[in-house]
Amino acid sequence: MSWPIVRSIATAAVLQLAAACATAPPPAPEVKVNNRLYVANESSNAVSVIDASTLAPLRTIPLDRKGAHDLALTRDGRTLFVSNLLSGAVAVIDTATFEVTATIVTGNRCHSLALTNDEKQLWVVNIGENNISIVDVPRLRVLGTIADVAKLPGHVRLSRDGRFAYVTSQEDGRVNVIETATFKVVKSIEVGRLPHFIIVSPDGRYLWGGNTGGREVYVIDMTTNERVATIPVGPKPQHIGFGVRGMFGPFAYVAVEDADEVVVIDAKPGAYNIVDRIKVTSKPSGIGASPEGGRIYVGTQGNDQLQVIDTGTHRVIGSVPVGIKPVGVVATQ
Amino acid sequence: MLSVLLLTLLATGVGVARAQTASIGSVENTIGTLIVRRADGRVDEVRGKGSLPLYEGDECHTEKASKALIKLSDGTQVAMNAETKFRYQTRQERTKGTTKIFKLLLGELWMRTVGPSQIEVETPVATAAIKGTEFNIKVDGEGKSTLTVIEGVVEFGTPFGTCPIPKSTQSFGERGKRCTKPVPVDPAPVTAWIADVAR
Repeated sequence: MSWPIVRSIATAAVLQLAAACATAPPPAPEVKVNNRLYVANESSNAVSVIDASTLAPLRTIPLDRKGAHDLALTRDGRTLFVSNLLSGAVAVIDTATFEVTATIVTGNRCHSLALTNDEKQLWVVNIGENNISIVDVPRLRVLGTIADVAKLPGHVRLSRDGRFAYVTSQEDGRVNVIETATFKVVKSIEVGRLPHFIIVSPDGRYLWGGNTGGREVYVIDMTTNERVATIPVGPKPQHIGFGVRGMFGPFAYVAVEDADEVVVIDAKPGAYNIVDRIKVTSKPSGIGASPEGGRIYVGTQGNDQLQVIDTGTHRVIGSVPVGIKPVGVVATQ
Repeated sequence: MLSVLLLTLLATGVGVARAQTASIGSVENTIGTLIVRRADGRVDEVRGKGSLPLYEGDECHTEKASKALIKLSDGTQVAMNAETKFRYQTRQERTKGTTKIFKLLLGELWMRTVGPSQIEVETPVATAAIKGTEFNIKVDGEGKSTLTVIEGVVEFGTPFGTCPIPKSTQSFGERGKRCTKPVPVDPAPVTAWIADVAR
């Protein structure tokens, strides 16, 4: 082939490419998924999505399985997992499109969820089977179960170093410690009647939990796995979130369901005194905290609302209607 | 020859049966007794040759000295050895469609798929993912799982890692451990038990 022919073919190819580039549509801008609140509405089988700045409802995502209960959100805010308590399945939601992209059956009455620190696994507590299903997040496949982790297991959380998982054993009033390298229960800590929700403190050292069959919250030192405090707060303590008040904090905000209050506890190690009681209406249950700690979001089952507490003033500064029985709340990080 | 006893043993107090979707296949042959517990709690007992449709959520259980052969609607054959219990469920994914899942609680299953088929067998400690193959999987009372691959490749994983298990090899999965490296095995003796029910 002579040089002029090669040159003209090359020129034509370049022109064709340029024309294609000129007509190609610009790439779609990436959908922002930050600054959002998600609420699991158990009795309306849906997730409410709310703008955290304006409290404007963005979307209600219906679920085909029943009993939306607990939520787990990936750190980038792009994938939301929802347990469906009545159907024993976990829904996977693409938060950019608000679509359910997968449904994974785990076990009877799958209740609570925890992502491992590397977000490669989702631990799912199945109350009806007293076990935990381990879901491989990239493949969305159940890879195994940990049997006999507790009696009526409630919530599960992992330590910051990932070596231990903590699960509440509601029937016998204990928190069981599972070694993640062996899946064996290595310790069982007595905490009180019907322990349900647990959460790791912001410094990663303490595990806080509430006894929904009693009136108190408890604190476990995760370095020794010993209970270091029991704090009476009122009847039926539910979820707990952490916030700060200006230069002070952290504080633990405890939803006390049968008192219609959010009780505020100084969460500094060794302090643990109640500093305030904030009235909310009615039957507070799920709690989520904003990433900077300035807002506490409370789902109130009695009137199907999400109420917003300003941690600077401890006032309820807003509320937004959500679905029926809002029990799980999570804010993007 | 159909000998299907519909006993309707309502195990729960639920009065209204949950609507089930299309049948996923049917029981084709039974030696001894196969018990099928439906999602609404109703129980069917199957004996001999015949066809009993199965649905999502069904739990199948063979008794002592019993075996069963199931044919799925895509042509996949599933044989159950004695004292085997599994629950059938599915996973829905927008991009991949439906994956058939056999939650094997106890006992032994043999499976031969026809063409591409997304099937997983979940044991208490591991999961075998299949895309067109023949294999045998056995679970003991402790959940320890033994996978033998006869044709094709099976992705075998525990929460501690996943690896491909090729044809004519065997791997074990147990609680708190990775599945073992595949070791060569003659599959014939492993699958000898299916001769009377699946042939």
